[in-house]
Amino acid sequence: MKRKSIKLIVSLILMFIVSCDDPETVVTNYVHPDGSVTRKIEMRNLKNIFKKSDFQVPLDSTWIVKDSIEINRKGDTTWIKRAVKQFKNIDEINLAYKSDSGTNKGMLRQVGFRKRFKWFNTEFRFSERIDRQLSFGYPVKDFLNSEELLYFYSPESLKHEKETGPDSLKFRALADSVKHKTDLWSTKNIVSEWIGKFSDLIAERAGKDMTRESLKAREDEFIKVVEANDKKFDSLWSAGIILRKFIGEENALKYKTEADSALGSVTKYFFVSFKDYSVRIVMPGKLIGTNGFIDSSHVLLWPVKSDYFMTEPYEMWAESKIPNTWAWIVSGLFLVFVLSGVIMKVIKKD
Amino acid sequence: MKPESEKYDNVLNLLRESKPVLDSTEDIEKEVIKRITKVNHSQLNLPEIIDFLFGWVYIGWVRRGLIAASILLVLVFVFQQGIILKRIGMLSKQTVINDKESVSTPTDEIEKLLMVYKNSGRRFPSKTITISEKQMKELLEKVDELKNKYKELENIIEGDPELKKLIEKKQIETNRTKINL
Repeated sequence: MKRKSIKLIVSLILMFIVSCDDPETVVTNYVHPDGSVTRKIEMRNLKNIFKKSDFQVPLDSTWIVKDSIEINRKGDTTWIKRAVKQFKNIDEINLAYKSDSGTNKGMLRQVGFRKRFKWFNTEFRFSERIDRQLSFGYPVKDFLNSEELLYFYSPESLKHEKETGPDSLKFRALADSVKHKTDLWSTKNIVSEWIGKFSDLIAERAGKDMTRESLKAREDEFIKVVEANDKKFDSLWSAGIILRKFIGEENALKYKTEADSALGSVTKYFFVSFKDYSVRIVMPGKLIGTNGFIDSSHVLLWPVKSDYFMTEPYEMWAESKIPNTWAWIVSGLFLVFVLSGVIMKVIKKD
Repeated sequence: MKPESEKYDNVLNLLRESKPVLDSTEDIEKEVIKRITKVNHSQLNLPEIIDFLFGWVYIGWVRRGLIAASILLVLVFVFQQGIILKRIGMLSKQTVINDKESVSTPTDEIEKLLMVYKNSGRRFPSKTITISEKQMKELLEKVDELKNKYKELENIIEGDPELKKLIEKKQIETNRTKINL
């Protein structure tokens, strides 16, 4: 509910922090057929500052780390930290996520691997999943169409390329549309989450007009109140004016503590201190499916941003297959054998 | 002589009349059959092998079972490959991006790197970077070596007017291609 004012402050703080010390991080998972994973991390920073507490992904002394620098044509120096570690299986990666002490330690992240024998081929599935933050939010796909969704999940480099490319006007309009719709999505999420948390807190002593269903039925009404009082939201909420508009004078007095508590909880989960990074996956064999972006070298890429796992789990997955040559040979020989037998019988019959 | 010849005849008759006692006729029978079978086996021919291999075609349920298995195998193959091809087709429609996330040190930056190295008193601004002095020296030597070879090449070209002409022509062609691109 303090969305825009708080969001602006948080964004500015985050931008300041990011521009200062945060490394730009790309994690690459090289998945092997036996389920082992070679994980490479590349961090780039304009300063030679790589604090462990700023790392977006787990990285400790067990990794092989190499530092280097890069100077561009303008003479700007970029400091690069490259780290690599071989994980025997996904359990080791999950353990690393659990014991992470970096900046994104609060997020529940999990890696999955599946290997399926399908006679002619063996199929592999690798995924990285981040659990959702809000319990009562709306999926973003309810607000954006397929083109907007694609833009929403696109890496920044692609967005920039589109917005400065030949169809720049079209993409700027698309960007504006996505921004407008995601703003509405954010407001609805906050209100919905507040209703959910608030109704949980007052569940035992709530009257019929204060049940979750009755509050939910008035959700659009609440959103209008929030939007109308956006600029003065903080002071109006503190004065209890907004709550009175929501639930009436009597209920506002009765449930003020619970309403404040619910708002505090929503703010905590909505404005998570998450630092963005990118995930790349290199699968064994031939790629047959993914929900990521494919780069020119057939490496898959996903940007990881807090908006993506706000209301739904964010799963980055890829599937590939390796043909079982021996199964192809055995099947071929079997077919030839049966076919020969049948032909022979037909000939002998004649 | 008579009694002797009689004796001889008697012995001969006795031997003729006393036949050997066969107490293991079954074993002999088995041995004979075994030998006969051995002889037959060594004379196996192609039709017999084929009959042996494809004997199943005359057994109805085996024949039907194997044919069904073959059809199933073909269907599984067609189904699996169909799905895979469809999925690969869908992948090709997905957005391909120009990857700007990965980093590698471009070779044309080496000169600048060296300049920084030299200007910083042959030491990088931070001692935490793991480029040893030895590696840096090697790099400098290699660059100097490359420069010397380049000079030598230039001298050779200058000394051979035909070669110079040819290279100039190639350079013009290359520039044209670049412009066209």
